Amino acid sequence: MNNNIEIYIQALNSANCGIIITDNLQPDNPIVYCNKAFENISGYSHDEIIGHNCRFLQSQDRSQPERQFIKDSIKQGKDCRVEIRNYKKNGNLFWNELFISPVKNDDGIITHFIGVQNDITDRKKAEHELREEKSSVERKIQERTKELVDNEAFLSSIIQTVRESLLVLDADYRVLSANSHFLNSFKVTTEDTVGKILFELGNHQWDIDTLRELLMKILPTNNPVIDYEVEHNFPHIGKKVMLLNAYRIEFEGQYKDRILIAIEDITEKKEIDRRKDDFLSIASHELKTPLTTIKGLIQLLQRMKPDGSSEKYNETLHKVSVYVDRLNILISDLLDTSKIQSGNIELHLDPFEIDKTIRDTVDNLSVSAPNHTITLSGTTNATILGDELQISQVINNLISNAIKYSPGSDKVEVYINRVGNFVKVSVKDFGMGISSQDKSKVFDRFYRARDIQKKFPGLGIGLYISHEIIANHNGTLWVESEVGEGSTFSFTLPIMKNH
Amino acid sequence: MNNKKIMVCDDDQGILDVLQMLLESEGFTVFTEINSTNLIKQIHIDDPDLILLDLWMPLLSGDQVLKAIRSTNGIKDLPVIVLSASVDGDDIASDAGANDFVAKPFDLDVIVSKIKNLLV
Repeated sequence: MNNNIEIYIQALNSANCGIIITDNLQPDNPIVYCNKAFENISGYSHDEIIGHNCRFLQSQDRSQPERQFIKDSIKQGKDCRVEIRNYKKNGNLFWNELFISPVKNDDGIITHFIGVQNDITDRKKAEHELREEKSSVERKIQERTKELVDNEAFLSSIIQTVRESLLVLDADYRVLSANSHFLNSFKVTTEDTVGKILFELGNHQWDIDTLRELLMKILPTNNPVIDYEVEHNFPHIGKKVMLLNAYRIEFEGQYKDRILIAIEDITEKKEIDRRKDDFLSIASHELKTPLTTIKGLIQLLQRMKPDGSSEKYNETLHKVSVYVDRLNILISDLLDTSKIQSGNIELHLDPFEIDKTIRDTVDNLSVSAPNHTITLSGTTNATILGDELQISQVINNLISNAIKYSPGSDKVEVYINRVGNFVKVSVKDFGMGISSQDKSKVFDRFYRARDIQKKFPGLGIGLYISHEIIANHNGTLWVESEVGEGSTFSFTLPIMKNH
Repeated sequence: MNNKKIMVCDDDQGILDVLQMLLESEGFTVFTEINSTNLIKQIHIDDPDLILLDLWMPLLSGDQVLKAIRSTNGIKDLPVIVLSASVDGDDIASDAGANDFVAKPFDLDVIVSKIKNLLV
């Protein structure tokens, strides 16, 4: 029997958890046994422990609610489990996971309590750290969320401030959002707009054929759509000319298949353009009226010149008329430039024989530039569908330039031929040539090569106009040139089908 | 052409002077009218064989006058040459029923040959 007890005690001392036994029959429930592990956990020796009530482990930390729970359980003779802050002999805190179970005798009276304790400080610490970590993550999430909310507020304030109407649609063309510029420009409210199908907005005032075409046909195949011009007469706000930019979001995710539309109202800009064109037409007309009189008077003087008048007199009169013609061309060019820029130049398309047009132009220029020999070679026998007057203006321009910029040479060669479905017209001079840095810019509006301006006055719009005219005819105009050797300007024009 | 009479209507005195000098030197009898609203009345008085007509005039534009001429019995078939510095002048002129068009600033030889063409 004694042997058995020895073994039990040895077993208890081998355990990792602290074990104590208290005697419930004695006053204040003193500890009557503690094992080795309990000594290790508490830091007290066996002799310092025996006789104390368990509460000595809580030191001064008396206010823990767990104490009341333990007290109640003991009173009622029930099992209990608590986690409670205890203090080692050296004052260090340790977390104690405490199991208490009563021991009853045959009469059902509680004679002892057995307390089993585990030092769970590490676990508590881990739990605490986890909790800290969690709350720090939560704090970060809150910060991030606030940042996102701020960002969204920031972006939305940009969208609300921008002076362009912006709409977001879902895949069924239902309006998801509209910015204030849209609401103000089209005199509608958010309630009228958001959640409605675009085409049904405001009594179907947005049911515009060109807009439908843009959204349903062009956008899916040609994403994004840039500067698509739509003109529409809105019932309440009148006619608007709008530039639409649209983009369909195709990447996967939350915003897939949304459509962004930016609407720029260019009604006013168009109106200003129109007024500018009107002004220039009037100005050019008014400038040409006295010029007509001057030109007429010069021609009368030439008709009236006395027999035997000196060569110098005739030459002077001729020069006056050349400069009047130049002034007239400048006035016309200004008007043309303005019209080309606003896209208002009208093409009068008629079939014409290009060979004859070129021959006539060359003949006319040969008369007015007697110091230069203009040779024409090649034939195309081609018919061009285009504006003959404008094409003749281009040829005139190129040959005049060739003469103007080759003062040291006396010949200009014009060559025409067929190239596939195109005619190619080349004007070659043997003048000063164009430097490579100027070459890319000669077709720009108002561009003048730096060293040219003083020697050869001009507005720098002739080649620009020529370039635009050829482009409007679906051809191209380009230049090849070597400084000091001369330049060749060439253009192509598509030959009319069935000719 | 010595017996032919030409009426010139333009709101610019300089142009009227030039054309009068030119046409008289070519042997025509020339009448000028600076106020387009008087033109039809003057046509009835002077009975010209041909009219040179400006387009862009105050009060009554050339194309309006021309349309009026074309719908007035007795003068509706008068040859009319429109002169204009407007870019789209030739279109307006032919729409209104002009026989020919000359852009300003014009070449005197061109004016004379166009007049002779219409008076043959």
